[in-house]
Amino acid sequence: MNDARLSPAEAPWQLYICHACGYIYNEHDGDPDSGLPAGTRFADIPDDWECPLCGVTKSDFEPYVPPDLGALKSAAPCHATAPRAAPGIVVVGAGKAGWQLIEQLRAQLPETPITLVTACAGDVYDKPLLSVAMARQLATPALVKEPGADAAARLRVRLLAHTRALHICTASQTLRTTHGPVPYASLVLAHGAQAALPSPLRADLCWRINHLQAYQRFRAALGSAPRHVAIVGAGLIGSELANDLALGGHRVTLIDTQDRPLARWPAAEAGQPLLAAWSGLPITFMGAVRLQQLERQGAQYRLTTTDGQTVLADQVVAATGLVTPSRLAASAGLAWDNGIAVDAGTLQTSVPHIYALGDCISVNGCASRYIEPILRQAQTLTSALVCQCLPSEARAAPTPYTVRDAVVRVKTTSLPLSLH
Amino acid sequence: MNPADLPPEVSCPPALVLAMRDIAQGPLAQQVQAIDQGTYPREVLQQLAAAGGMSAHLERPGQPADYGLAIQAMAEVSQVCGSTGFMMWCQAVCGLYLQACGNPALAGQVLSDHVQGRRLGGTGLSNPMKSFAQIEAMLLKATPTEGGYRVNGTLPWVSNLGPDHYFGAIAAIEGQDGAALMFLLRCDAPGVTLKPCPAFSGMEGTGTYAVQVKQLFVGAADTIAAPAQPLIARIRAGFVLLQCGMAVGVTQGAIDSMWAVENQLGHVNQFLDDRPGALQAELDALTTRVMQLAKTPNDPSTEFFIDVLDARAHGAELCLRAAQSALMHQGARGYLLSSDVQRRVRESHFVAIVTPAIKHLRKEMARLSAEEMPA
Repeated sequence: MNDARLSPAEAPWQLYICHACGYIYNEHDGDPDSGLPAGTRFADIPDDWECPLCGVTKSDFEPYVPPDLGALKSAAPCHATAPRAAPGIVVVGAGKAGWQLIEQLRAQLPETPITLVTACAGDVYDKPLLSVAMARQLATPALVKEPGADAAARLRVRLLAHTRALHICTASQTLRTTHGPVPYASLVLAHGAQAALPSPLRADLCWRINHLQAYQRFRAALGSAPRHVAIVGAGLIGSELANDLALGGHRVTLIDTQDRPLARWPAAEAGQPLLAAWSGLPITFMGAVRLQQLERQGAQYRLTTTDGQTVLADQVVAATGLVTPSRLAASAGLAWDNGIAVDAGTLQTSVPHIYALGDCISVNGCASRYIEPILRQAQTLTSALVCQCLPSEARAAPTPYTVRDAVVRVKTTSLPLSLH
Repeated sequence: MNPADLPPEVSCPPALVLAMRDIAQGPLAQQVQAIDQGTYPREVLQQLAAAGGMSAHLERPGQPADYGLAIQAMAEVSQVCGSTGFMMWCQAVCGLYLQACGNPALAGQVLSDHVQGRRLGGTGLSNPMKSFAQIEAMLLKATPTEGGYRVNGTLPWVSNLGPDHYFGAIAAIEGQDGAALMFLLRCDAPGVTLKPCPAFSGMEGTGTYAVQVKQLFVGAADTIAAPAQPLIARIRAGFVLLQCGMAVGVTQGAIDSMWAVENQLGHVNQFLDDRPGALQAELDALTTRVMQLAKTPNDPSTEFFIDVLDARAHGAELCLRAAQSALMHQGARGYLLSSDVQRRVRESHFVAIVTPAIKHLRKEMARLSAEEMPA
């Protein structure tokens, strides 16, 4: 039917909703109690008419189209999930540590309810490849090995995606989240670490490429044209990013307080050969300087060092190390020693039923930010959690996790390095 | 439970809490049902205020602000009557605006009368708070004029009002993108009309009206803050934290009504989940958390505010569970229209939906937790 051909009197009745209280005015019914006979068009209602429910006036109404309930219902995923109240193992964080643990747990505990709480979508990907993806200019989907929802279905995990873990109630063994309380029998913290932002770096002025979503948004900000990117911090992450952004066609200024990149290792083994290898790439290394100011200048960012040098860049990336967020640990009163202190034998924290692995833990005060230990930590923790589910006489002590000196592979493709 | 095992602040309540208990279990208890059905308890509110029940969180010479005590006072009353506990909160936050505004025209006699309960007031910040959290649009609009503003619009359901009351309100300033005016809206000012609300399922005696505002002049004398946002940022944690008093009190009332039938019905009630002992343990842990947060109500950090929002959300969730479980424990006797058990179920619903409702709290916590990135 073409309404335009109808006279106003024949036009279909319209609905209008009060955005203060949700009352719906139906032109067909009018509002006889307020003197509007049935059939009163909204346009004909006097301006001083009041919402019969809450008293606001006509200007607080807007046209309303009733939703198609059938369409809404058929579009919503309707599948039974494990009841919220079934306490099982609850894992916080869907990074390498979280998924690795769940893979191993599910292999040994086919029936135990597992819930994964994560601030992101839970997609499975390799974080070290975020930098490589810059060089190859890969779009985000190419990085995702398995969507979070698929991995959750395959492993029969209840996935609470885009959900923030807020607080742990230890007495009632409940994790509080932005999607409601989640009871646990065992809780595993695998939420990782986040970028440290020493002053004058600010979250609204510089990127931290620490997860898939940040990579995606940074890529979008770069656009398709070559840009000038300033990277603050020339450690492992900063150097890899500089290398890969330069290979991706961008001009890079790499800034560090030390006089060479990868200054944690001897100059002759790391910094010097790396700089030599970069000589053909558009990378400028500004060493032995300290950043004093970072500010917007038009569409760009101006970086000023304490010795008066300035750099004008299109985007700024912070690669100034990681810190472990302490909110959850503090809420449960977990012992803290440069991260969540865990027992190497079981990866249990100082509080019963709460465990941790990955970047957020420390063993004897040592944190590790590398991939290699995560697999071994997941094995230890899986044994510890499986033990909990067995009768006491069947329990065997888990293989303790041991801290080893890691060999660090620097994926600077101009000069790949293995450093001890 | 042996009282000797309790920490000193619980086993020996402060004098203010004892004064609240006397009023709550005396004159207030007599009228609880009438209040639920529509009687506004002006005299009781004035007694509670005069005893200091709605001003412990306000700093005065020789007396530091004590949010923990203010929350305890509110909890003591909410245990008997959730409506009255809610109106204490209205009066308490209105006092907070009057003190925080730094406007001598409001912070002097007006505040003093308010603290003493000689004048009563409320808060109309539900809509602006949701507007700041990008949940809905601002309903009051202020147009700058000679010496002040002209305000127009209608606020649905503002509580603790009466013909000679007032409340803290916020209006969007026309032509100034995002700017807002916070002011004391006097119910008896020219251009202001109180309209009765349709019947709610409970808490009818809370003096709740729709407030119509036409060409109301707001001058310097009634200005609380312009722009409003810095003041709101300063008091937001205290505003939300004080609401925990309602949740704690209604929950405690529900738990007590479970114990009340334990001797007769314990043999069947043992099969219920959410038993009073477990709920009490959870409430005690939450109360400890709230009291800890109440020590630093002015902490401006986002992390602290998220903690406050989560404690408030936990209070609402626990309140719902406890009230529901109390009805299961009491059975038919709790379902009688005269029973405080079914009344408390409706009060618990109110605690969970009054701004900020559970869903608003969670949305705001998610928003505040999101990692900030360059634009």
